[in-house]
Amino acid sequence: MYTTGQSIIVSGGSRGLGLHMVTQLLEAGNKVATFARSYTKEVGALSEKYGDSFYFAPLDAVDVNGVTAFVNAVCDKFDGQLDSVVNNAAIGQDQLLMHTDPETIQQIVNINIVGPTLLTRIAIKRMLLQGSGNICNISSICGSRGYAGLSVYAGSKGYLDAMMRALAREVGEAGIFVNCVAPGFFESEMSSVLRPEQLDTIKRRTPSGKLSNDENIFKVVDLVISGTTNMQGQVVFVDGGITS
Amino acid sequence: MERTEILNIMNMIMTKKGRSEITDESQSTREVNFRSLDFSETALRIEFKIGTELSFEAASMRKIETVKDVLDFFEEATKGV
Repeated sequence: MYTTGQSIIVSGGSRGLGLHMVTQLLEAGNKVATFARSYTKEVGALSEKYGDSFYFAPLDAVDVNGVTAFVNAVCDKFDGQLDSVVNNAAIGQDQLLMHTDPETIQQIVNINIVGPTLLTRIAIKRMLLQGSGNICNISSICGSRGYAGLSVYAGSKGYLDAMMRALAREVGEAGIFVNCVAPGFFESEMSSVLRPEQLDTIKRRTPSGKLSNDENIFKVVDLVISGTTNMQGQVVFVDGGITS
Repeated sequence: MERTEILNIMNMIMTKKGRSEITDESQSTREVNFRSLDFSETALRIEFKIGTELSFEAASMRKIETVKDVLDFFEEATKGV
């Protein structure tokens, strides 16, 4: 582990990759806060095990006042410090655009674009005053390559990449590092919508011959937010080489 | 907010970054090396102090050239807050 002793916010940490990252970061001695729309039993178990080092709040990521109150509460609980934010919360898509209803489009835009933008906006204010910080967006190879059935999702991930590059220019001088980690298809709830033969095709076309898993992705996030690199404004692909 | 209070915040930021304190309002921000992120940090520190977000118009920010312009800007922005 590279990241230790930090105060970190991971959005969408109640399940999947988010839960894995929260758990590993807590295990390494960090203070970790997360939010999601609903409380899960896994969140309850983390609360019990890690006590004051862990903070969870049920939150709608597009509620401006809620996000602001959440970040303020995290800073109050974690000695006024906010070292890193991992924008992980997202929802997927598995439909051609022509069949995707407007409500679904709006929901993807809200959760995958508006949410991380609001959280980042509040976080960088804190980080600017501290003179340091790390923002890591979990984007996707879909943000850089075309995949049918994922148009809105891909657009939202491409947005994260583009915002990250602009933000790196805006706040880099203040000691704030902004980067993206872009997984390929990985074993998750989102890829569970794919049929077994589709997954086999993806594996066959992947140079490493396998899908990434939560731990593969987390290892890169850990390095990115550790503050031990001088990496700024980059998208790091964790995809077994499928985009190579 | 009083001009002296705003100038104190600016100088605190300057000192933190190892630069000389600003003593002459007529100097250009470029001359004293007061950069755009320093302006943002000043705004954030004022926001924390007054407990509300300031709203800026990009057009009025573009006119800022001197330390006096910065002080006038924040004095005006915090009027009645």
